[in-house]
Amino acid sequence: MQRLPKIVRILAVLSFTLVVVLFAALIVNSFQNAGKPLTSLNPQGPSSESIQQLLVPVTSIAAVVFVLVLGAIVFITWKFRERKDANPDEFPSQIHGKTTLEIGWTILPALILAGIAVGTVMTIINLNREEPNSINVQVAGQQWWWEYKYDINGDGNFDGPEDITTATEMVVPAGRPIQVTTTSNDVIHSFWIPGLNGKRDAVPGLRNPLKLQADEPGVFRGQCTEFCGLSHANMRMLVRAVSSSDYDAWVKNQLKDHRADPADPTAAEGKKVWQSLCAQCHVINGINDAKMKETPPPLVAGVAPNLTHLMTRGTFAGSIFNLYEPVSSDGQALPMRDVAAAGDPGAALTGGTVATANVNRVTLEAWLRNAPALKPMYPQGGRGMPNLNLTEEQIDQLVAFLETLN
Amino acid sequence: MALIEDRPLALPSGDSDDGYTPTGVFTRPTAETGPRSWFTTVDHKKIGIMYGAAAIFFLVIGGFEALLIRMQLWAPRGSLLSANLYNQVYTMHGTTMVFLVVMPIGAAFANYLIPLQIGARDVAFPRINAFSFWAFLFGGLFINSSWIMGGGADGGWFMYAPNSGVIFSPTHGIDFWNLGLIITGIASLTGAVNLIVTVLNMRAPGMTLMRMPIFTWMALVSQFLLLFAIPVLTSAQILLMLDRGFDANFFNVAKGANPLLWEHLFWIFGHPEVYLMILPAFGLVSEILPTFARKPIFGYPFIVFSGIAIGFMGWGVWAHHMFVSGIGPISVTTFSLTTMFIAVPTGVKILNWTATMWGGKLKFSSPMLFSIGLVTMFTIGGLSGVMHSVAPMDSQQTDTYFIVAHFHYVLFGGAFFGFMAGFYFYWPKAFGYMLNESIGKANFWLMLLGFNLTFAPMHVLGLQGMSRRIYTYDAGYGFEFWNKVATIGAFTLASSIALFIFNIFYSKSKAKKLPPVGPDPWDSRTIEWMVPSPTPVYNFDPIPTVTRVDDFWYRKYGETKDGKLVRIASTAEVAQQRTDGKGIHLPSPSYWPLVLAVGLPIVAYGLIFSLWLALLGGIVVVAAIYGWVMEPPDDPDAAHDDHGPEAHASDGGDAAVPESADADAVKEVETVG
Repeated sequence: MQRLPKIVRILAVLSFTLVVVLFAALIVNSFQNAGKPLTSLNPQGPSSESIQQLLVPVTSIAAVVFVLVLGAIVFITWKFRERKDANPDEFPSQIHGKTTLEIGWTILPALILAGIAVGTVMTIINLNREEPNSINVQVAGQQWWWEYKYDINGDGNFDGPEDITTATEMVVPAGRPIQVTTTSNDVIHSFWIPGLNGKRDAVPGLRNPLKLQADEPGVFRGQCTEFCGLSHANMRMLVRAVSSSDYDAWVKNQLKDHRADPADPTAAEGKKVWQSLCAQCHVINGINDAKMKETPPPLVAGVAPNLTHLMTRGTFAGSIFNLYEPVSSDGQALPMRDVAAAGDPGAALTGGTVATANVNRVTLEAWLRNAPALKPMYPQGGRGMPNLNLTEEQIDQLVAFLETLN
Repeated sequence: MALIEDRPLALPSGDSDDGYTPTGVFTRPTAETGPRSWFTTVDHKKIGIMYGAAAIFFLVIGGFEALLIRMQLWAPRGSLLSANLYNQVYTMHGTTMVFLVVMPIGAAFANYLIPLQIGARDVAFPRINAFSFWAFLFGGLFINSSWIMGGGADGGWFMYAPNSGVIFSPTHGIDFWNLGLIITGIASLTGAVNLIVTVLNMRAPGMTLMRMPIFTWMALVSQFLLLFAIPVLTSAQILLMLDRGFDANFFNVAKGANPLLWEHLFWIFGHPEVYLMILPAFGLVSEILPTFARKPIFGYPFIVFSGIAIGFMGWGVWAHHMFVSGIGPISVTTFSLTTMFIAVPTGVKILNWTATMWGGKLKFSSPMLFSIGLVTMFTIGGLSGVMHSVAPMDSQQTDTYFIVAHFHYVLFGGAFFGFMAGFYFYWPKAFGYMLNESIGKANFWLMLLGFNLTFAPMHVLGLQGMSRRIYTYDAGYGFEFWNKVATIGAFTLASSIALFIFNIFYSKSKAKKLPPVGPDPWDSRTIEWMVPSPTPVYNFDPIPTVTRVDDFWYRKYGETKDGKLVRIASTAEVAQQRTDGKGIHLPSPSYWPLVLAVGLPIVAYGLIFSLWLALLGGIVVVAAIYGWVMEPPDDPDAAHDDHGPEAHASDGGDAAVPESADADAVKEVETVG
């Protein structure tokens, strides 16, 4: 056998070693899910937990099979390699096959897979079982944000006066099942809160069910996972699980509207700006909700985020920016757009005072100044928010008004 | 008989210039060498080489797109590409790699090898073969011309409706994608019909189906998948064309359309597509592993039937791409189970390859290394595939980077490693010189490293929540480190491809000083290694009579009763000598396949920009069909009557098998399986 140049041999050893180290590092890292808010390996609710209970054994079987196959190949390539002193005229024994062996390794994987199949079918049934006492929420995707409608009075209709329409963030009581129905107002999106359940596509014209339940209060992030055009990457969502009493207070506050003019004169000016410019697309209940039903906004999706209770949300613009400063676990200042640590509306969540000092004014103003510069959109085609060419004064007035929307 | 163009050929050394003047519109071209001959050739070998060269050209484009993607994702909020451009780049990367790289490399090997492996002179319809290639090339160039005509398609290679509608994608990118793939679809379909007819009708005497080399078997299954899958895609694309160009409402939800129609149609095509891309590579390693293990493939009939089983079962799994689309729990369960059990025939293949190596005398040449690379890397992709078949797990993993990792382990770690093995293995047969082995081994190790660095981290990125098709990600999600590793890996991978291309030119320049490579440099098993390297234009002279699987091997070696191998003849004794090919009928070159293929993109440009142009393209197509039909043979008098007795063997496997061969065939049944 011809000897290889040294550099090729070094490369072979280096490559093999690096790949082994890489695989080991990846396996270790897949157990380290702290600081990874979108991980699917850290289940926080019954549905995601039942998926995890399937994932662990299936992945283990796959890993064992891989180790066995790879081990066999490494062993075979070492043991049966052509030796340097081998006689070129000597051949290994010529085996054409062995039927019993073939039948064996056809049946064995089939049996293993049959075992996996049983667990799979049971989990599918479990994930599709309807829960009693669940809250019905319709989740509608559109380019590039999510709208949530709560059927509070349980009449099967999401648009009654007793029902809630909100955007960007979904507030749920911890420990209670939520029956989500996904749909879309334009293209196909996919609703995914990895901590709580797998994803479900939001398909225009279809209504797809998905169960969500958070074991404990907390913030659960998600990301749209079906390619939905220009800003697909910037279409996020957030589930805020709160205590049962906070949820009731939140519902009570959400059912209020904002008919009254703000007391602050700047904010009152802002309301006028809002009515003249923003009200064409956005809705604030009590101001233009009735009018909007007659003249829908000039958008492909036919809807823009409802801003009635904007300040009860921790994030805005499809959950890619923080509306409030995020609360950092170690007290360090975090970048405002770092939605990985989501903004906290504090008391405003349930209709309390807006902590204006914590509002992320810099980003909010920048958004009003030129929204498409912060998030790629296609406003000229009715898809996304346009640059309204507001003056700095109008922006200040608008922010003052928006800050009253608790 | 299927060999429609079985007409005499004016070989350079021949003397067919007997004063005959054709009466058609154009005389048939006669050039067999020189640049012009490539445009009019109908030789399956030249067409195969052109498929390969075009695929490598598109590989460079698709690879460049991949590097742009990886550079954009190097760090959070990358700014190399805008969202709009990123969406175009990733769409075109997927489209290019699937339709213009992996499929045509499969076609390159199938074109080059099938006639050689079955002992035929050419394919059944040589002009259609040339047309298939040109249509593929022009379709590919047409799609890529979108870059200079307003931007590429931006809807993903899967092009889900309604995001592919004019409202959501007002530029012409998707029209280019759609019409271009209709053209390459025509190319694939004609190619599939051609190769199926070739395999079924033109096998050498004695080459029964169960004596065919495994590559030919796998390529045959692949062609059947193409035959049935491509029309589904084309139908869907015609609906999309009517929607986008002529205001139809097939995918208009406001008019009552169901967007899942496109998803179903696309994946009914799309899943068999995966298998038709991988099966030729499976075939290649099934040739290479026994050659370098110095023992026969383990369980020939099981490898063949598992390939056929994959081909059948591949039709019943498409909706596993749609587990979260809202197809309902019954459908999800059904497709979950069918998908799981397609792993069985695939597993059988892997175990058979492993058993082939067991007890062998393994020679780690470059083709062997790439083949072992396929077996191991594809195993990873296969196992992650089993994970996806578990629908509840898939609901977490689908549309994340875990899927990106999975299908790259299948299509790169599987198909492409197999193709690399095939390139190194068959290079001497096609070009008459060996690729440098040291560079080849460096090529393998660099590719193995780059491939794993790029795609292995994507498993973890996906499980930890990184969504697919996102042009950027934010800090704070823990995606930074592995994305950097993946980007480094992508450049390593690119350098290994560069090393391969360098090796082609380096080895060619060095080859002049080396002794000519013989017909059988690897001591191989199947009959394509009987013919001189590079393969003469007429392939075989005479056509061999095949008596068993690995016929050529058993012309060199005999097997004793206890499975011991003894050499019975030297390679030189049993290999064929280069002859002047006089008196061998070969199909004549033709302009018309090229002209016909040129008409198709003109029609497509016309459908986008002006229907008048489409009319012009239509006229070119119709004129080319007339020219094709009316084309005169270059020597009608000589047709069909100067076959030598052995040349009649090319009439296919239905020819009588000599007595002695029959006796051997019985023995073969005892030894194989």
